[in-house]
Amino acid sequence: MAVFMPIVKGLIGAAIGFAIGGGISQLITSFTKEPATEPMIVLGYVFAVIGWLMGVGMWKVWGRQWFGKSTNNDPTGGWERYLRFNIDHKVIGIQYITSLVVVFLLAGVLAILIRVELMDAGQNIFTKNTYNTTMSLHGIMMIAVAVAAVMGGFSNFVLPLIIGAEDVAFPRVNALSFWIVPPVVVLLLLSPLFGGFDTGWTAYPPLATQTPIGGLLFELAFLTFGISSILGGMNFIATIVTQRAPGMTWGRLPIFAWSVLAASVISLTATQWVAYGLLMIIFERVFNMVFFSPPGGNALLYEHVFWFYSHPAVYIMILPAFGAELEIISHFARKPLFAYRWVVRAFALIVFLSFIVWAHHLFTSGMGENLHGPFMILTELISIPTGVIFLSALGTLWRSKLRLKVPLLFALGVVFNFSIGGLTGIFLADVATDIALQDTYFVVAHFHYTIMGGEIFAIFAAGYYWFPKITGRMYNETLGRIHFGLMFLFYNITFLAMFVPGTVGMNRRVAEYPPEFEFMNLVTSIAAFALGIAFLPWMYNMLNSWIRGPKAPDNPWDAKTLEWQTSSPPPLENFDEFPTVTGDPYGYGDESVIHAKFPNSTDAISAEGD
Amino acid sequence: MTNHVPHHVNHRFDALTINRLGLWLFLVSDASFFIALLSSRFFVVGTSTPEHVDQVLGLSLTILLLLSSLTAYRAEAAAEHGDLPNAKKMLLATIGMGIIFVFGVGYEWYEAFKHFPPSTGFGTVLFTLTGVHVTHVVTGVLTLGFVYFRIRKSKTIGDNQWAVEGAVKWWHFVDVAWVFIYPTLYLIK
Amino acid sequence: MANLSPINLLGTGIRSPREPTFYRALREIVLNRDTVTAAAIWVLLTIIGELSFLQIDMFGDAATKQGDFIDDAFILLMVLAIPIFTLVITMILYVVFKFRAKGDEIEDAAPTRTHTKWVGFWLAWTTILCLVVIVHPGYTGILELRATNAEEPDLTVNVTGRRWQWIYEYEGRDVSLFTKDEMLVLPNHSLIRFNVTAEDQDVIHSFWIPAFRMKIDAVPGLTTYFDVETTETGHFNDDVNFRVQCAELCGNDHSLMFTRVEVVEPAEFEQWIADQAA
Ligand code: HEA
Ligand code: HEA
Ligand code: CUA
Ligand SMILES: [Cu+2]
Repeated sequence: MAVFMPIVKGLIGAAIGFAIGGGISQLITSFTKEPATEPMIVLGYVFAVIGWLMGVGMWKVWGRQWFGKSTNNDPTGGWERYLRFNIDHKVIGIQYITSLVVVFLLAGVLAILIRVELMDAGQNIFTKNTYNTTMSLHGIMMIAVAVAAVMGGFSNFVLPLIIGAEDVAFPRVNALSFWIVPPVVVLLLLSPLFGGFDTGWTAYPPLATQTPIGGLLFELAFLTFGISSILGGMNFIATIVTQRAPGMTWGRLPIFAWSVLAASVISLTATQWVAYGLLMIIFERVFNMVFFSPPGGNALLYEHVFWFYSHPAVYIMILPAFGAELEIISHFARKPLFAYRWVVRAFALIVFLSFIVWAHHLFTSGMGENLHGPFMILTELISIPTGVIFLSALGTLWRSKLRLKVPLLFALGVVFNFSIGGLTGIFLADVATDIALQDTYFVVAHFHYTIMGGEIFAIFAAGYYWFPKITGRMYNETLGRIHFGLMFLFYNITFLAMFVPGTVGMNRRVAEYPPEFEFMNLVTSIAAFALGIAFLPWMYNMLNSWIRGPKAPDNPWDAKTLEWQTSSPPPLENFDEFPTVTGDPYGYGDESVIHAKFPNSTDAISAEGD
Repeated sequence: MTNHVPHHVNHRFDALTINRLGLWLFLVSDASFFIALLSSRFFVVGTSTPEHVDQVLGLSLTILLLLSSLTAYRAEAAAEHGDLPNAKKMLLATIGMGIIFVFGVGYEWYEAFKHFPPSTGFGTVLFTLTGVHVTHVVTGVLTLGFVYFRIRKSKTIGDNQWAVEGAVKWWHFVDVAWVFIYPTLYLIK
Repeated sequence: MANLSPINLLGTGIRSPREPTFYRALREIVLNRDTVTAAAIWVLLTIIGELSFLQIDMFGDAATKQGDFIDDAFILLMVLAIPIFTLVITMILYVVFKFRAKGDEIEDAAPTRTHTKWVGFWLAWTTILCLVVIVHPGYTGILELRATNAEEPDLTVNVTGRRWQWIYEYEGRDVSLFTKDEMLVLPNHSLIRFNVTAEDQDVIHSFWIPAFRMKIDAVPGLTTYFDVETTETGHFNDDVNFRVQCAELCGNDHSLMFTRVEVVEPAEFEQWIADQAA
């Protein structure tokens, strides 16, 4: 039981914090005649988070230092080290991955409930309000998974290893960005008990300022999540800039690291905008301000601010996914990454463009019509750098010696699915067709193709690929193939079928719809249930292999990047001896390129270099 | 008790440089928050500024903050030379001006409630902009105070160099943010 | 001179003008069995894809001129997207069947790192395609949807959204519709302008008539509009797309925030107006 102490302390800290914050707020509002509940929740929550952080170990590891006392941040230990404020990036990576898998499964179950409701045109298991809450929760939880799983999870574990570093640049900030995620999940799960929020994940005001307390919890959760994402972005940039192994020049940086750098630039800057958007909603709720309602306010303000983050955010999701996909393709194709430099340029261009296309979500919002043209053009231009990623993937595959292992299967799945997701994006970027398609299931199908078909598939690819490194054990290849086969098939049926009702006039975010669209919805629902079942072999495989799978060799894929040149799982300091990088990581079929040398290695070439 | 403080095998960058980079990144991030903040002013009330805005107060607050940036700079310079007494004096001066600023904003709010409460367009903008900014000022004052007590306690600048530098950079940032907020809020016609 | 030949531009990447090198490169990169077979499969798949797509009637006829343009734009984009999609499928399938390592053995492939001319070629076709869709149906679409903005409409309907119903006022006709069960009757072959807004303390809605393919948000404190020129008659009972559907989540009854629509010939419409006013 002792292993749960930090969590228990954290909860106690949160309770004390809430009492203090709530008390202060009550004191203040007792002087005014305003309603006091929402201010109390907000202030109480802020203090509760601080109390929680201190309790789970931030005080011991970090806080004491501010007061000139000694700290104890021993990151070693058995599995109890995963249950406290721990500054080892590998522990944090695993903390992120496991918590987000849980969130993903919960959100997936919500998706199944959505599909049960939508099997026929009428009202089944939900009331209209609970349907909206379920749908919104599904959306925001999945978005949280999509933003944090590659960045917080896999980047945390892999990035320092792949650039030959001992840890990230700011290990304690790193732990902080993980430990503010649990409050997010708690708030989201609590929100249905407080009336839920029927705003969708986009939370457009004035609706969002009028929802029950559940809506406020949602806004606080999203805001907190943003802070985590900002700190993560800052940390990854500093890590890549300062922690690369000697000799790891920019031209030798593995593409995954490049993609994380690109995504970090976005999460560092753009996330502040959604924070401000949510803050405005909270201010409007708590202080009766008028940002959004007439007279004075303007509802479009939120839409602009929100999408100024949330559009770039889709590239926070997809860029590291592309990075992982290309990494895997190169190593399993046994061929250097095709057009490496162009991919890096493409990343840079995507980051740049991603900041100036947000209003393509607003073509029907009533914003100035003179903005339609520019935003349409800029949006469609993004297809050019994105196309370069396809060029690189296909160019690497051509004339390769493919090893068709599970990670590669998923990576090929990304190429296939994202081509559908990306191309349907063009239909939405076109003003004329978007005016017809906006807010229909066509959009829903588009973003499930990009996020789920692109990013979640890439996460599974990354999960299988790095599983031996993370756990030190091998997964079961056959089960992995079964998982891929089922998932690929039913995923595509589910979401291809969704395009049809979207094109012929079914709008999203409805629990009831005209019976004319029933058939395709039934197809989607049944395929979605089968899709749910496709995850069972995966769950069994992961759990079983982690506990009693065969021991993994250090480098099961015979890959050249640095994370495979250390033991599985890596030691606390990542490498027994630190490498010096001497060439790029994709030197397959080219004896002259050696990625790295280790000082005392028995390897003939490196011995000379010593 | 093991202390796992990564000793960064890679010596191209020392801890100070890494810390500086981190702070700068954070400032870039926060700056984009302020851009969002400033742009909302134009969305909600366009470029109109009501007559009751206290121009004298606005200008004095601006001058006060600029002065405090000067003393903060002096504190940093003193710390760099290991000049403890001067560093302490200048830190105190900065903190003092920061506190006066907070009270200045408090007075402004008191007045503002009469003419444009938060439930009006301009009130929304005024309270949000100054409110977010004054929160930054408070964190700045707290950080400076923290640093002040640390160097007072350890009786040398010693390894608190970075603490002073970081706090002062943060303070400069808060001042610069005000330099943008001031015209946006008060001067635009 | 060989360098300037169009085939060379497609990909040898070799600058030397010497003939033998050029032909060898041509053979290796373009005219070899793999490339030609894959290209043939791609052409085949594309033809199958295009033909089967053009067989399907995706969405029936739109009831407005603007809607017809939008449908055509959709079909054009689809026709352009199919070859890109089949290219990806062809490549994946071909690679998976043709370039597999034997069994479990690990063997490196020939290390082609990049090929400037392939990259150039790829960038060229994506850019050209991108510019094409920007001009048409992109810009032409924007112009088409706004073409009538300066004209005097035959009928103006002022629409107000509120939770959870639509309120219509036929401008200058002294007719207003207030309840959910009423039918929004509109004249055929007319230029109709909808001025759309929402009540002040309400939330955002979106005014969408699927059969017209057009929608615009109803925002509190803002008046938005769009124009349509009706081209066909129709009735909700025959086609569900003849309905006004709210298309912006607005709370509980969002899905039920719709009005039935009927488009009738102008004479019939005048009759209806007269009946209503009476
Ligand atoms: C990972 C997530 C992700 C990604 C990568 C994308 C990528 C793109 N998205 Fe998507 N999008 C979402 C997630 C994503 N989107 C989400 C979540 C929403 C809805 C949010 C909500 O409302 O709830 C949304 C909604 C959305 C809209 C608004 C729809 C509406 O509500 O009306 C638009 C409109 O322009 C759009 C466009 C695009 C475009 C043009 C791309 C481009 O980046 C795609 C570029 C890729 C390709 C084009 C394919 C590859 C290219 C080639 C092979 C080269 C050749 C091709 C050409 C020259 C065309 N998206
Ligand atoms: C990462 C992003 C992501 C992912 C992966 C998914 C995955 C899925 N989504 Fe989701 N979705 C969103 C992001 C995502 N979604 C967003 C952002 C919205 C918009 C919300 C809004 O409008 O505000 C949305 C909206 C949305 C809607 C529209 C709701 C509406 O507009 O009314 C629908 C409808 O079918 C849907 C379905 C599904 C399904 C069936 C899956 C499936 O792929 C899920 C598969 C996973 C599982 C099934 C769980 C794992 C399996 C088990 C736990 C085993 C047990 C199995 C059974 C019980 C069968 N989603
Ligand atoms: Cu009104 Cu949705
Ligand atoms: Cu977007």
